[in-house]
Amino acid sequence: MTASPHPTKPTPALVSPFVVAKGFITVVAASLLLIVLCLVFAPSSVAQGALAGSLPFAAVLAIVGLGQMLVVQQGGFDLSVAGGVSLAVVISTHYPAGDSALLLPAVLMAYGCAIAAGVVNGWLVGFARLNAIVATIGMNALIYGAVFAVSGGVPKITTPLLAEIAGGDSFGVGHAVYFAGAILIIVAFVMKKTIAGRRFEAIGANPLAAAAIGLNVRRHQMMAYVLAQLLYCTAGLLIAGITSQPTAFQGDSLLLPSVAVVVLGGTSLLGGRGFPISTVIAALFLNQLSQFAFAVGVPYSAQTIIQALALGFGIGIYAIRGPSFANKINKLSTREEDNEAIVS
Amino acid sequence: MKLSYRKGQMAVASVMLAVMGSAAMADVPSWCGPNEASLALVDGFGGNSWRLVTTASGQAEAALCPSITDYQYADGQGNTQKAISDIKSFAARGTKAIVVFGDAGPAVLPALKAAYEAGSVVVPYRVDVGGEAGKDYTKFIGSSFKDDGVSWGNWIKSILPDGGNVLFLSGPAGNSQGLDELAGMKTVLDDKYVFINPEPFDVTNWDPSLTQQVLSAEIAKNEKIDVIVSDFGPSLVGALPVFKKFNRSIPAIATSDGNSLGCFWTDNVKDNPDFKLFTVATGNDNVRLAVQWAVAAATGGTPPTDEIFKAPVFEDSVSGSPSAVQCRPDLPGSIYLSATMSGDDQAKAVNK
Repeated sequence: MTASPHPTKPTPALVSPFVVAKGFITVVAASLLLIVLCLVFAPSSVAQGALAGSLPFAAVLAIVGLGQMLVVQQGGFDLSVAGGVSLAVVISTHYPAGDSALLLPAVLMAYGCAIAAGVVNGWLVGFARLNAIVATIGMNALIYGAVFAVSGGVPKITTPLLAEIAGGDSFGVGHAVYFAGAILIIVAFVMKKTIAGRRFEAIGANPLAAAAIGLNVRRHQMMAYVLAQLLYCTAGLLIAGITSQPTAFQGDSLLLPSVAVVVLGGTSLLGGRGFPISTVIAALFLNQLSQFAFAVGVPYSAQTIIQALALGFGIGIYAIRGPSFANKINKLSTREEDNEAIVS
Repeated sequence: MKLSYRKGQMAVASVMLAVMGSAAMADVPSWCGPNEASLALVDGFGGNSWRLVTTASGQAEAALCPSITDYQYADGQGNTQKAISDIKSFAARGTKAIVVFGDAGPAVLPALKAAYEAGSVVVPYRVDVGGEAGKDYTKFIGSSFKDDGVSWGNWIKSILPDGGNVLFLSGPAGNSQGLDELAGMKTVLDDKYVFINPEPFDVTNWDPSLTQQVLSAEIAKNEKIDVIVSDFGPSLVGALPVFKKFNRSIPAIATSDGNSLGCFWTDNVKDNPDFKLFTVATGNDNVRLAVQWAVAAATGGTPPTDEIFKAPVFEDSVSGSPSAVQCRPDLPGSIYLSATMSGDDQAKAVNK
């Protein structure tokens, strides 16, 4: 008996942040299932050319999703996604008006506006304690005012330089995909491996406890909105390059998917832990799902229904509380989350 | 002498006045009557370059008639409530003639009827609002999208006499424009021409980003696409480079015109041997016919003979008739060289 001592403390593996999250397993399993379905019923949707055409859009959705995830982690919601993306699109196309030399100032201007919008959002929610939905919907209307002021609602053709940077490809893969990959690595690393990132998650999980141990809750909540706007702006710049004549309302179609990928990725709408990798995989999943629907050639109404069902199914999984095993896993992950919050 | 000199001067002056007056009379179009009237143009949604050019065209047409003493414009901004209140507000102000782009369709009909009953001349155009001319409004000036379909069908037949695969892209699901165009094409094209899109057309919402995604899925799915038909040519510009990713030539395209599309063709025709282009006018001048009808009814002029706007064929890269493909690289891509308004004036309208 002495040869096999029983440890009284939990093994390090149980509290390690590397424990695979339920959201990750779900979204990966769903994606694999979808790929099998595509291979069987719509092989053209996973052909190289089709992926080359659709992956840049998945990348844009992934970046927007990561932004939304940061806000959701703080228990908020950002409905100014549409405005943020559209403003970046119109500034980067209208200000240079086809002249590549003016692209850099335009990009800087777009990021400047994004920071301003993020600071106002963050201040309204973090400091003035406004409801996040109300504050960001108002901000969205304001940003759309700016979109009209810049563009008059009229689309303009992208500069050749931006089309090359954002819309071009290297080694058969669109540049937008590399951008999304780089952003994912940065977000995941900062959030999981730095003190600032651990604080950010802890505050989202329990703002009261975080305040009690002396963390600056309001400033972190504000930062979530600023960082989110920066990511929306990046996504907008990429769209402006990918589509040669983007409309002034290009962000509108991204609002709902941005929330969907966050939820599919397993981030709780009540705040707390974020799952950047799962969020990005969820973006790939949603994108492939629409490609699948296009490729099967079903009528538009059926395409919409397929997407809605898949989304409902994906979200439903988190709502189902199995009696024994799933409960145990849930308890385990809650405890793990608490441990992490305390450790941070 | 002095007196006679003066008389002579007066005579010359009066002759000149008479000449100028008759010249001015000759310039006044027949649809412009003698009674003074005010005119309002109500747009359901004014936020794209096509609408800006159309609005400027409507204003230019109204300016041809000196009897129009006041011209107003309102943009519904895509909000049906605002469009309805705009129509009602012009009627309440006693505007004599109201020309309406009823984007919301039958939803604006009650407002049109109220304005008509209040004594205004009401001319909805392009979008079918339901109702009846003479009862709910003065006159509806539609556009013959079916004729566009027939023009495309005839061209497709001429370049592919043995049949082929046709891919048809239109706007939002179930939009009547796309359905009419399809009906037009089907009157010309028989079973040798296979529509490879889901019935009745691929939905793109006329959004360049969705168009790009739909097109890349269709290209991956279909080995052979002989001709693409789209009712909004410029939205294809972002999507067509997708063919290069598949190492395939851009196929023949039948669509509506736009400067960006003409320039895209000019830049890419060398590398894409199958890239033929055929366009119908995108129809900015529809508003001119509607303004003519409204002004004629409000000022007591003679109404035009046409009751429906037929978009003329514009470019054909194969025959060069009525026009070869046009590109003005010095002007914005978002103008329409098929419109009566000059390219430079359109550039001013979209850049203001």
